[in-house]
Amino acid sequence: MPGNIRSVSFVVLVCLLFCSRLTSVGATPICTNAHAGCHVLSLSNLFDRVIQHSARMHGISNDLHSEFEQYFLPSRNQIGRVSRNCHTSTILTPNGKENAQKMAREELTEVILKLLVAWRDPLWHFHHSMAHYDDFNNFSSNKALEMSDMVHELRKGVEKVAEKMQVLGITSNTVNSLTSPEALLPSESAEWRLMKDYDLLYCFRRDSNKVQNYLKILKCRIVPEHGC
Amino acid sequence: MTQETGATAAQLKGYSPPGKPTLTRCRSPEKETFTCWWEPGSDGGLPTTHALYYRKESSERVYECPDYHTAGENSCFFNKNDTSIWVNYNITVVATNTLGSAFSDPVDVDVVYIVKPNPPEKQTVTIMEDKGWPFLRVSWEPPQKADTRSGWITLIYELRVKLEEENEWEMHLAGHQKTFNIFSLRSGGKYLVEVRCKPDHGFWSEWSSTSYIKVPDYFHREKSVWILLTIFSAFIFLILTWLLHMNSRSLKNCILPPVPGPKIKGFDNQLLKNGKSDEIFSALMVSNFPPTTSSNYEDLLVEYLEVYVPVEQELMQEESKDLHGGCLKCERSTSDSDSGRGSCDSHTLLMDKCGETKEEGRHTDRASSRMLTEAQRHQKGWEKDTLTYAHGDMVSPDMSNGRVKTWPSVFSPLPQYSSNPLDKQSSLEMAKQHCLSTSSCLTQPGHSTKEALGPSNWDFCLGNKQPHLLHPQTQVGRQLQAHSEVNISNIGRKQAPAGLQSPALRSTEYVEVQRVNEEDLVLLQPVVSGCGRIEGYPQMPKGKDYSKVKGVDSDNMLLLQREVMEEDWCPGVDQEINGGTGNCYTSSTVNTTQKPTACIHTAMPVQGDMALAMNGYVDTATMCTLPTC
Repeated sequence: MPGNIRSVSFVVLVCLLFCSRLTSVGATPICTNAHAGCHVLSLSNLFDRVIQHSARMHGISNDLHSEFEQYFLPSRNQIGRVSRNCHTSTILTPNGKENAQKMAREELTEVILKLLVAWRDPLWHFHHSMAHYDDFNNFSSNKALEMSDMVHELRKGVEKVAEKMQVLGITSNTVNSLTSPEALLPSESAEWRLMKDYDLLYCFRRDSNKVQNYLKILKCRIVPEHGC
Repeated sequence: MTQETGATAAQLKGYSPPGKPTLTRCRSPEKETFTCWWEPGSDGGLPTTHALYYRKESSERVYECPDYHTAGENSCFFNKNDTSIWVNYNITVVATNTLGSAFSDPVDVDVVYIVKPNPPEKQTVTIMEDKGWPFLRVSWEPPQKADTRSGWITLIYELRVKLEEENEWEMHLAGHQKTFNIFSLRSGGKYLVEVRCKPDHGFWSEWSSTSYIKVPDYFHREKSVWILLTIFSAFIFLILTWLLHMNSRSLKNCILPPVPGPKIKGFDNQLLKNGKSDEIFSALMVSNFPPTTSSNYEDLLVEYLEVYVPVEQELMQEESKDLHGGCLKCERSTSDSDSGRGSCDSHTLLMDKCGETKEEGRHTDRASSRMLTEAQRHQKGWEKDTLTYAHGDMVSPDMSNGRVKTWPSVFSPLPQYSSNPLDKQSSLEMAKQHCLSTSSCLTQPGHSTKEALGPSNWDFCLGNKQPHLLHPQTQVGRQLQAHSEVNISNIGRKQAPAGLQSPALRSTEYVEVQRVNEEDLVLLQPVVSGCGRIEGYPQMPKGKDYSKVKGVDSDNMLLLQREVMEEDWCPGVDQEINGGTGNCYTSSTVNTTQKPTACIHTAMPVQGDMALAMNGYVDTATMCTLPTC
């Protein structure tokens, strides 16, 4: 009898661990293969989720940037600086509405993914460097951490969307480049370390806006039912 | 050189290089174009030109503003070709005049963050109803320039509402939706609605043009009316309750009046509770019930009539007074049927009964009366009035000092009579009947007598009785008798028998001659009403009775016959004058009623101006000796 109890208790513990792991995701798991028992989200819903995510990410980056600007007001010389190069400037992104609408869905999706990948590591490092600033309150450091996590989550989400689109036949398979993000940024890997934090925030704020905008364009182009 | 001199000359004149311009703002309405405005500095008195130069983020190339005019003065408009999103513009404005130029501070502009859209368009406000309650539905369209359909710009909206008379707006965030419902409206109110929009990251647009809407007067009948009615009725009910409470006592008395307790004089409730009936009923006993006092009777009684032979005036006044009183009392009694007093007293009734059978006599009397002269008739009438009936049995005449007091009371019974109320009543009733019967007869004889007699009924009775009683055998005799009857009662009357018609002399009275004194004065006494003994009545002293008229001689002298009254001196009432009989005629001829009527004792002839008229008494001096008296 005691042996049975132990085995049962062990099983229960394992089950609890698994369950907690599952729940730690924080969102309804997306079933890609339409497994039985899973909630199959439509593309429209996926897009909405992703867009909301990107909007939140942009909001946080905007807040951090304005806080940085208050505490570490850059001198006028910095504003007048001509060269402010973000490490993502190499990625060709459309700079206007016509350009964005002209770009194909697959390319646009790829651009989004590239951007998101490019910002994963810098944000992670940024978060770690927040501790050096005594003037920053904890709320800001939490925001930096959240921002870092969001980039990660958003990238996964966009990948899911691309996958969905491919399944639905909206996009061709050519764009599905699952090359590792490290492959994209080997040449740029050292530059972002030179950027100052303020510039980093400035660049990220802009890129998150781009991501959000591009996602909206994609949504209204592919699934224009709601909110377009 | 010339330039320098020109510039120096200009400086000498006070001109200066332009002031530093400043970029005020840059705005993009749709995130596709943008415009920058600057504020020029001082121009230094010289014409100054401005130029805007910009540099894009990652290049060193400097561009100048492509369009200075589209957006107005001191502005630079960047069209779609020149606008790059997510690109940092470094813009500088330069002011230049002949003396120099001035550079403004550079401004970094990223178009994404300077988006200020136009206000929403096509705003409509309509009233809609939800289960009887109205609400406003506001709908609008995004500004035309902003491209929201492609997802390039995402706008969020906000609207504000207020009543016309209010000062503060009510804000509502509509989010991404393009319609909005406003509830809780005031009935009949006029509302103002405005909408504005904002991109995700940008500036709020200006408020749209105001939309006016008037909410119609709505009346939720099912509830509001009932609520009002309930409140109103409750209020009324409270007021009524309060009023009732205040007036509870008076209302109680009105609806349920208190039962009056017994209010018997002398009745004691406590005694009743104690249960002693003797005491109770003894208390109830009123000593003077039934009323035995004859206060009323005494009032009715006429005062003693003092017969004063020498003092004629005095008596006359008394009599007149008494007669008056008697007349009045008689009149009173006629209206009161239960008083026990008839209009005619029993005495008169008895006499009438005697005369009732003489219907014929009445007629003849009537005839004879017509033959009488006017004066005589009048006189007779008056004399009839003055005749009074005496209740002989009432009180014995008081004889003192030659006075004979008579009681000309006609109707009211004396205290001694109280034991016989029944007899009185019956007699009085009969008297009444007679009166009624005679009243009819009154009209027949003539109006003169009626007028002369006046209103008193019993006077009429009396008046009529006279002819009944008198035997109409001889006209003259009758006249004389009538006159004599009158004269006896007219004691102390100084009036001439002829022509005197004082209406005051009403009451007549029968008196009987009691005796003749030595001086040949006839003493009269009242006649007893009713023959026979009456209780309580003292016997009249037996004396000589001179009440009988023996005859009338040629000189119109009344001859009295003396007769001795033994017992019933009130005999037959037949008042016939029998000329030679010395006996008292009993009721041989007249036997009408059981009750004997009183004898009329006439005394004096009144006719002519005789000495009799002086005092009403028979002047024995002038009389011739009576043979038989």
